[in-house]
Amino acid sequence: MKKTNVPGSQSFGQKLLQFIRNNTVPIMFILICAYCIPQAGFSWSYLLNEVMTRLGRNAFLILSLLIPVMAGMGMNFGMTLGAMAGEIGLIFAADWQVWGIPGMILAAIVSIPISVALGVMIGKILNRSKGREMITSYMISFTMNGVYQFVVLFMMGPIIPIVHDSLKLPRGYGIRNTVSLLSMRQSLDNLLAVQVGGVKIPVLTLLIIGLACLFIVWFRKTKLGQDMRAVGQDMEVARDAGINVERTRVISMVISTVFAGFGMIIYLQNVGNFPTYTAHTQIGMFAIAALLVGGASVDRASIGNVFLGVILFHTMFIVAPKTGAAITGDSMIGEYFRVFVSYAVITLALVMYESKKRKNKSLAGQQLAAEQAAEEEASK
Amino acid sequence: MKAKRRLLFQILAVVLLVAIGYTMTIIGRGHTIYLDSKTLEYDGQTYKPAYKTVVYVDGQQVAKLYDKERGVATCIGQTLTVTLEITQQKGGTEEVYAYNIPVPRKMDNVIINLPGFLAGLPEEAYLSEFIPSPDEVAADETDVPSDDDFGMEDMGMGDESAAQ
Repeated sequence: MKKTNVPGSQSFGQKLLQFIRNNTVPIMFILICAYCIPQAGFSWSYLLNEVMTRLGRNAFLILSLLIPVMAGMGMNFGMTLGAMAGEIGLIFAADWQVWGIPGMILAAIVSIPISVALGVMIGKILNRSKGREMITSYMISFTMNGVYQFVVLFMMGPIIPIVHDSLKLPRGYGIRNTVSLLSMRQSLDNLLAVQVGGVKIPVLTLLIIGLACLFIVWFRKTKLGQDMRAVGQDMEVARDAGINVERTRVISMVISTVFAGFGMIIYLQNVGNFPTYTAHTQIGMFAIAALLVGGASVDRASIGNVFLGVILFHTMFIVAPKTGAAITGDSMIGEYFRVFVSYAVITLALVMYESKKRKNKSLAGQQLAAEQAAEEEASK
Repeated sequence: MKAKRRLLFQILAVVLLVAIGYTMTIIGRGHTIYLDSKTLEYDGQTYKPAYKTVVYVDGQQVAKLYDKERGVATCIGQTLTVTLEITQQKGGTEEVYAYNIPVPRKMDNVIINLPGFLAGLPEEAYLSEFIPSPDEVAADETDVPSDDDFGMEDMGMGDESAAQ
């Protein structure tokens, strides 16, 4: 009897194994959370409140990563550039004394041209480094961090007008280490917020996140979205089909960068202030880690991965220090744990992606060899 | 033709964004308002404050002012809507009034003298700009970024509130 590889013919055990293999990272995090939550001893209302706050704060940022994945560009470490654009928008909104939600809208509008310009730049650079997009975008984010520092530290004041002394360094130019956003702190989260069983639901923030999700769902169905998926699957085939591959990839980076700018504004209005020179540096890392924890991979990510990732990753973030303190007596252990886990999960996801790719390649090679052997056998 | 239409849409989008941005700078312009319950001398006349003035903004009590006291409120936009609960003399009855006080767009910090405003004096009499002293502005720090610029302190390791 010949053994077949038809998916429907797999036994339950094989299916389960396949499921576990495909969802190793989320399962691992569910187990970590299941162990840590009782150890930390937080009340459910506190835990849910924290998770809800972090969901509202981070989901938009993580959603910005989906479109480059769709276009086959992997995890966009260059989202940091969008975050910088969002911060520049907020600096101007704070300087022009525009408060509350109007201040956020103004910051978003200011961030758009900066994000578009940075998105086009990073897209064009990534078109010259196809196949190495992630490391390239990671390095670009470091490079642009230097440019951002130069602009904010030296150009704001003498060249770019900054009116208020409260924003400037005592020397008269450059922005202070911390920008206060007290005038717009949680203005989005508090508007239309409802309390359910002691848990604050930031309805308006969630609605905006919902709109972003709808945009992504709609975008996938458009001609451009279909083109992006085709480019993501096989660039050469897409090119042969008449798709302008380079332009499509640049557009995906522009959308991602603009979204990241908006996401950063939503994130920072929740926090209420930001360290001018460092707020954006780790944002890409944490957003990517959260998406990977949600079960995404370098070539496949969905909206479901975003929400599952935020919940699992941030639950781990919330409970890790207290669990560390409960187990070892030192909460710093938990602090270190949650940081190294962020990096570890990215490493694990990258390794798994590469090994899966190689395995598929070797399977395809074996299949081809078997087919050739069968053909030779038949021709004899 | 297609390129022209595309350019037109792009220009329209830019104009729309600029218009929205400008509108935001008007409707979202924030002011800090200092409400003074102090005697005002104007045009040779003296305007004395009430014994007690309770100030409400958006239904929230922001200040309870006696003679020579100052209260602070914030205002977004160009009009401060206040409800004043005024007691003219000790033991007297409270009178409640609602006012819309126009606030100049260009001023960040505005001082409003309540006796002058309540007496119906012109704006230049009861309204002035509060300019904080430069020492006060520069007092809270700060220097250029430290070597720890790659964010572990702020985003991951140190400050819990900033860590996602």
